[in-house]
Amino acid sequence: MFKIIAMPSFDSANLLNKLKNEVVKIIAASETLQQLDNAQLNQQPAIGKWSAAQVVEHLNTYNDYYLPQLKKALIGSRYAAKPVFKSGMLGEYFTNSMLPKADGQLKSKMKAFKAHVPAALLDGVAVLNKFITDQKKLLNLLDLAIQKDIGKIRVPISISKWINLKAGDTLRFLIAHQQRHFLQIKNTLNAMNVHIEKAFLKS
Amino acid sequence: MEALELLKAQIDAVHPLNESTWEEFSALWSPVSAKRKEILTKAGETEKYLYFVMNGIQRAYAVHADKEATIVFTYAPSFSGIIDSFFTQAPSGYYLETLTQSSLLRIHYNDMARLMGKHKEMEVWIRIAMAHALAGVLQRQKELMCYSAEEKFRALLKRSPHVLNLIPHKYLASYIGVDPATFSKLLSSVRL
Repeated sequence: MFKIIAMPSFDSANLLNKLKNEVVKIIAASETLQQLDNAQLNQQPAIGKWSAAQVVEHLNTYNDYYLPQLKKALIGSRYAAKPVFKSGMLGEYFTNSMLPKADGQLKSKMKAFKAHVPAALLDGVAVLNKFITDQKKLLNLLDLAIQKDIGKIRVPISISKWINLKAGDTLRFLIAHQQRHFLQIKNTLNAMNVHIEKAFLKS
Repeated sequence: MEALELLKAQIDAVHPLNESTWEEFSALWSPVSAKRKEILTKAGETEKYLYFVMNGIQRAYAVHADKEATIVFTYAPSFSGIIDSFFTQAPSGYYLETLTQSSLLRIHYNDMARLMGKHKEMEVWIRIAMAHALAGVLQRQKELMCYSAEEKFRALLKRSPHVLNLIPHKYLASYIGVDPATFSKLLSSVRL
């Protein structure tokens, strides 16, 4: 019953290289965050709003689920890369939902039913180290993906094993989700006047 | 991603709601789970809930004398519930059961009705969704009456190729109105 709209097509290798570049930028931004002290990382900009550490921990939980699933799906598949990747409807929808609104504002986070809120006081060092380690794993997965058919290979989503996304869309969504949250961190730190390098998240 | 995002994706595909309406609407849904072969709605009861399926498969069916007719299967990411009973608030003519362990979101009729009264776009979304549902029901009626067993089987597989792996064959047989033996024969001879 989905409205029939043409799904975007990508040059597969180009897309994966672009995604790699995004991850490299996120690693650089994470290393910048490592210069902040634990108090700053755990500072909540307002009641109910997440600290930088909570945001990164939230991203860690996504990687905890998606990286092993991606690895399993990519390694386990014999389908070799195709030159063009065509996005699927749900994958395209979820990836786009991460983009900022027309006025540049981030779309608000969807409410979670489970008490999926990261703890209020986290070990900032541990959270960031884990995140950076996972980003390196993600880079390796992107390298692996270059050899595989990311349109044919599918990955179940975290909230329902009955629904799966194309591997290409899973990677796009996962990385767009990270980008969206890093922008949130940048806004959070600025709002709290925590000094952060001008180069944070710059292209 | 969160369960509500999946719900929003389905609504956006039909008729997107504006942000504040969505905020209000999404707050009215609650998660619920059921074990396998649990009856969610009994014939004779009025359907209190509209469901959105996250995990598992459900089946709506009618019972008449010693016969059973499967009306529809629901699974993620579709809506579920006995829809005519829900919107008319008249007793259901059908049973809704889970075929497997299921997790769903649900909204109570009172909340739905209140929001539909408050926001025109809710009515628009419902009307368009119902039109599509009706189209499906009419098409199915035509197929059930005019198609041969093989044609019905092929139509089922064309529309929903994954169902052979998800749903026990006896229920699929009931759905297309053939007996299980005929269904097995079709399975071995007609495989696409």
